[in-house]
Amino acid sequence: MIDWTRELRGSHRSVVLPAIGMIVGLALGGFGMFHTVPQAITVPPGYIALVNQKGILATDFMSQTAAATGKPFAQTTPAERNKTLQEMIDEELLVQRGVLLDLPETTTEVRDVMTAAVNAQADTASKSTPPTDEQLQAYYDAHRARYSTTGTMQVRDLLLRVGGYQNANQSTAQAQADAQDALYRLRAGVPITQVMQHFGLVDSGRADAEEVLDFAAKLHLGAKLFPAAAALSDGEISEPVVDGDGVHLLLMQRRQTPRAADFANVRPKVYSDYVESVAKRAQNQELSILRRDAQILIASPPPP
Amino acid sequence: MIAPPPSPKSVRSGAKRRIFAAIALVIALLLVAGLLLQHHLWRRQQWNRLLTADSARMTQDRQLAAFALAEAKPLYLAHCSGCHAADMKGDRGKGAPNLADAHWLFGDGSVFEIERTILYGVRSEHGKSRNVTDMPAFGLTGRLSAAEIRNLVQYLLKLSGRPHDVQAAAEGRSLYFDVAKANCADCHGESAQGNSNYGAPDLTIDVWHDSDDGRVFYDAIYSGQHRIMPGWIDVLPLAQIRALAIYVYIAARGASND
Repeated sequence: MIDWTRELRGSHRSVVLPAIGMIVGLALGGFGMFHTVPQAITVPPGYIALVNQKGILATDFMSQTAAATGKPFAQTTPAERNKTLQEMIDEELLVQRGVLLDLPETTTEVRDVMTAAVNAQADTASKSTPPTDEQLQAYYDAHRARYSTTGTMQVRDLLLRVGGYQNANQSTAQAQADAQDALYRLRAGVPITQVMQHFGLVDSGRADAEEVLDFAAKLHLGAKLFPAAAALSDGEISEPVVDGDGVHLLLMQRRQTPRAADFANVRPKVYSDYVESVAKRAQNQELSILRRDAQILIASPPPP
Repeated sequence: MIAPPPSPKSVRSGAKRRIFAAIALVIALLLVAGLLLQHHLWRRQQWNRLLTADSARMTQDRQLAAFALAEAKPLYLAHCSGCHAADMKGDRGKGAPNLADAHWLFGDGSVFEIERTILYGVRSEHGKSRNVTDMPAFGLTGRLSAAEIRNLVQYLLKLSGRPHDVQAAAEGRSLYFDVAKANCADCHGESAQGNSNYGAPDLTIDVWHDSDDGRVFYDAIYSGQHRIMPGWIDVLPLAQIRALAIYVYIAARGASND
């Protein structure tokens, strides 16, 4: 026989218990949502302060206090300690502000410092191994030109113009033939002024009147004339050289060719260049890893 | 043959036994859990004490020092022994100094100073690492000739109390103080007792040589020194670094007390 009273009690229990659970849950949830419990934030062990949750290490504080006062931390006064602490807090606040302002994105100096710091970290390990004499010698041999003295020259540049109002009917071939003839006479010892007058040669204005360093001569003579001039010795005259404005004859008056410096004389420079090259290699390796792991998209087609 | 059914009395006693066993098991589990919790809390308390205690005095607290040593030993073996060797005597080839003696390249050998070296390293490119200067490469850069370096080495051997060539040592001494040449006194001091702010070692103690020929000094002067040690601040928790500092401090103190 069915005990209906018991059945009803059982069905009540199945509704009442979840209902109580729901009410308690809602009450707890509501309490949690609308009642703000003040969090007990404490400075963790090992730190002297928290600035926006960023810790200032106690050891840094002690070290900085000692450095600022010039005496052991144990001998510093509470006022000195407090001064240092406030300065450290200020610094931390300013740094945090800088990060918030995204200074690496907006300030060139910050970007420069950051890139330099990353490069310095990349070549840290390479600095710990000194080079050997053999490595320095090999580096010197491979870069001899870098360890040469700079040459000097005093040269005269005679020009037989092609075209223009002075030689409107002169062809390049004709100018070359005339220059060849002039060269023959100059080499035979005919005075320069006489040859210039006879062939219509003029000073081009490119060569300096006094002796100049090679780099300056190259700058003034141009890429085409400089190699011809650099190959000349004192008193020599170049073969005719055709350039945009006509045919040139170069008369070398005084030439000091670059000389390779002895390894022993340039050791300090070779050493620093070598160390720098190793560091550069390490930095390039770091950069190639960064590039490998980065997602870099370049607009297609690339901007002109 | 069918077994006779158990009597109601034996059924009741069996149930009681099971209940008692269950209660005993729960109590035992609670006890174990309680002990584990207590041990965990004690360890946490010790770690906190390590960080909050005065580093100058903490090694006098035997319980705390013992705790630090026990915790630091596996850390040392895992992170430091690769360069400084398991016996803490260093590795000259790697430029890792002996930690088991009382001579310090950087700082005064206090827990505080050792901890700072572990935190930020040496020439690690961390802004707070020990990175004031390098030992220049006098030979590689041609600042000193091989003969001059040999003379200098003889002077350093003399300072260490080793056999040396008197004449060469006298010439080496001139180089030691010559500001235009070696200028060793600038970092190592006029008394040659070094400067731990620069990491310039004391040259008057006889711990740098493994032979009488001064090879170690010759190589250091010829090729220079730029030894690096990584900073561990971003690798290990602060408390573990403090424990390691105590471990190294006590190892060195043990050496100095020998």
